[in-house]
Amino acid sequence: MMESILELILMPAVAFVVGLVMLLMMRKIAAKIQRRVGPPFFQPLYDVMKLFGKQTQISHGLIHDVGIIVAVGGYIAAETLIPVPGMNGIAERADVIALIYFLMVPSLGMALSAGQCANPNASIGISRALTAMLAYDIPFVIVIFGMAWVYGTTNLVEMVAYQQAHGWGLTEAPLLALAGLFALQGMLGKQPFEIYVAPAEIATGPMVEMSGKYLGSLIVMQCFSLYTAGILYTTLFLGGGVTWIDFLLKAFAVVAIPMTIAFQFPRYRAEQMLASLWKWPVLAGLLGLAVVMLT
Amino acid sequence: MTLLDGLWLVSALTALGAGLFGRSPATGPWLTVLYGVQFLLVALMGSLAYGAAPVPASVTFDILGQALSWRFTSLSWFFALITAGASLTAAWFMGGAWARAYEQRGGDLRLLQLALALNPVTMYVLLASGDFLSLFVGWELVSWASFLLMLSAGGVGVRWAMRYLVYAIGGAMAVMGAMVQAYAVTGSFAFGALAAAAPNLSAGALWSLVILLAGGFGVKMGLLPFHLWQAGAYAETPGPGSAFLGAISSRMGLFAMLLTLWGVLGFAVLQGLHVPWTPLEANELLAWVAAFTLVFPTFTALRQNDARWLLAWHGIGQGGYMLMGVAMGDALASAGGLMHVFNHATYQAALFMAVTAVVYRTGTADLNKLGGLVTRMPLSFLVLLVGIIGLAGLPPMNGFVSKWLIYRALIDEGQPLLFVAAVVGTLGTIVSVYKLLHNIFLGQLRVEHETVREVPWSMLSPMLVLSVVVFVTGLAPGLVLDWVASAQRELGLPVLVPTLGGVARPDGGLDMLWVVGLLFAGFGVGALIFLAGGRARTVHQLDNYAGGHFLSADVRYHYSDNFYAGLMHKIGTWYRGSFRWLQDAVVAATDFLAQGAVGIYRSIQPTAWLLGVAVLALWWVTA
Repeated sequence: MMESILELILMPAVAFVVGLVMLLMMRKIAAKIQRRVGPPFFQPLYDVMKLFGKQTQISHGLIHDVGIIVAVGGYIAAETLIPVPGMNGIAERADVIALIYFLMVPSLGMALSAGQCANPNASIGISRALTAMLAYDIPFVIVIFGMAWVYGTTNLVEMVAYQQAHGWGLTEAPLLALAGLFALQGMLGKQPFEIYVAPAEIATGPMVEMSGKYLGSLIVMQCFSLYTAGILYTTLFLGGGVTWIDFLLKAFAVVAIPMTIAFQFPRYRAEQMLASLWKWPVLAGLLGLAVVMLT
Repeated sequence: MTLLDGLWLVSALTALGAGLFGRSPATGPWLTVLYGVQFLLVALMGSLAYGAAPVPASVTFDILGQALSWRFTSLSWFFALITAGASLTAAWFMGGAWARAYEQRGGDLRLLQLALALNPVTMYVLLASGDFLSLFVGWELVSWASFLLMLSAGGVGVRWAMRYLVYAIGGAMAVMGAMVQAYAVTGSFAFGALAAAAPNLSAGALWSLVILLAGGFGVKMGLLPFHLWQAGAYAETPGPGSAFLGAISSRMGLFAMLLTLWGVLGFAVLQGLHVPWTPLEANELLAWVAAFTLVFPTFTALRQNDARWLLAWHGIGQGGYMLMGVAMGDALASAGGLMHVFNHATYQAALFMAVTAVVYRTGTADLNKLGGLVTRMPLSFLVLLVGIIGLAGLPPMNGFVSKWLIYRALIDEGQPLLFVAAVVGTLGTIVSVYKLLHNIFLGQLRVEHETVREVPWSMLSPMLVLSVVVFVTGLAPGLVLDWVASAQRELGLPVLVPTLGGVARPDGGLDMLWVVGLLFAGFGVGALIFLAGGRARTVHQLDNYAGGHFLSADVRYHYSDNFYAGLMHKIGTWYRGSFRWLQDAVVAATDFLAQGAVGIYRSIQPTAWLLGVAVLALWWVTA
């Protein structure tokens, strides 16, 4: 009992720390591509601490606060659904389908929070964020279906066990892996699919009224989302991890791909994002699905 | 006297009371008590849900040598419980302040009370059907009762009620056709006779039965392409009526379909019926119809600017999940489909009530004329929030569990396209219901709504009770899944063995007790992190970043119209109105034929008639 409680506390804690490093990696990659030096190692942590410690904190009402709590809390809970080396959390009690829907809870929290701000720019940002969800989740669920079919289970622990016995999912379903990577780009809100975050000009996105600990919490949420994307992809396609070292290496490699691609691209408009995400990854996904189901 | 007799009696007394005294708002609470007694009587038959023998009615008839009988089985009980719950909460919601306001605005309260009370009576008759004749009697009664409820709105509602009537008559004709065919084959209206004959029927005869029954009952369910009547008819009914209709009325179609196609013909017969020139069987064809029903109406809902219409369109779409579940027919999927009937009733009633509460206070359901009401009506907001999470099928509400069961089964069955359709429906729902919540409760509060208050407790309490049910049956779905298992057993479907938290299986199960517990633990930790930051100061809504402009109360800046502009830029042109075109074409063709018949009748000379009849008579005599 104590052990499982410890797991449930450790899994989100590790997620946060690793997520911070992933955030740092993202900024470093951007800096390398743009020929800058980039931030020091502890910069993401400093940012979070600074934002939480600010004296002026502006709330737009209870739902503004509650939405942020739901956004962060949803991710904290979601981390216990994905098995990591040595810890399964509650992965045996909630499968990958539950996980996909769990991951929509933070989006809903953020949408509630931004909506309550009564700033039309925030609302427009949220309308784009939900449009993006509609865009990337369609190829993503095709990928999930395909991998569940390949492994004959939706239990993430069993998926890892299968891969460690029979080889990676990447080799069994390369097209699905490709589609998954494409969907990941949208899921992380990285260029060219970053219109809903619009981080370069905060005033036109959902974050327009977020300052202080609100923005700080969103950074925490971003750490979780990077980590979740990395380890989920690793679990689905790269055989999970035997030890923490190979597990994290894979997860960092996975997250580095969308980040590297991102900074080569401008931003798509919402309808261009839909067109692109509903075309290429869906085609690759359906083709991959046909291959795994017919062979 | 059996419990079923008692239920009929009390529900008939409720209708009688409503008809005699319903004009006065003061009768509202008394009628609510009577609905409560109905609920209690249904609850007393609860052993049915755990496999007890059917409860018969004392009343039987013999007409032309055919016996009519009624009884409650596990399946009837499951639907009756939902009916009783929906009518109780709707009457409770209506009984106090709402009824007084309705009467003051000039509404016909007696008609509304009577129409609402007649619905459960007729449904209990339908749900107890023991043969094709009693089924048809019940079916017609239910149709007329819901027609009366739709009619009670007057105005635009009448037009939609009339449209429903046309569809309902068409559906009833199809059902009657199936009955005649069953009679022709077996010489009896008993369920057992057709069940015994079904395995020996030719594929053509079976197809005819399946199409007539699925089509006839599908009209009530709003299955594509017979769905065009439903949204308007439900949305334009006075608030509590919408809540009742939206919760359970159209599910009577599903019940009748289950009773006849699954219960009488048998699921194995459906599975053995091959669709020519395709790899599909009849049950898969139904699953595909369900898939279209869940995708198209959901995306139509997305475009609605009236909260009631938006919900009504979603009601059609959610019916698709139920049919898809039972059409797949394995233990998980059919449990999901049946459980979704219960789940949908709970959150849909709560949603309609929350929207009605908003209309009660603001006078409008127009999504472009509201906003920011969360500060004025926080509990109604909470109800709507719980309801949309249930409708969208997200954890921790009950809608998630039923949809999860269906998704999980579609993976088991290897149905990727149906799976994608089901998920697309869910995503469309999430997108659409956020708009509903945002446009009413979030964003800018209008000047004219600054004095709005929360609705009275007579309206709030049933909404809150329903929200608690939505949450509790999401936390412990095993409560409902036990009842569902009995219904599955009765229908001859594989039976799901649930746990209190959901389903335990090694290759991917679900335990909602853990899932919900952890979710709330996560929220707790999230709250701690959030509170670790400095203390926040709450500012007025006009204290906002507006790109250098000063905001003032007279400027309307709530972003509501064309909420998903980017999405509509892409998919806006995909809305072709094809089904409306089809409906108009059928109407035009009927009109044309009728005109032709009138023309022939009016213009042909009597001598020509005489000649024609004489020739026909000669031919008949000589032939």
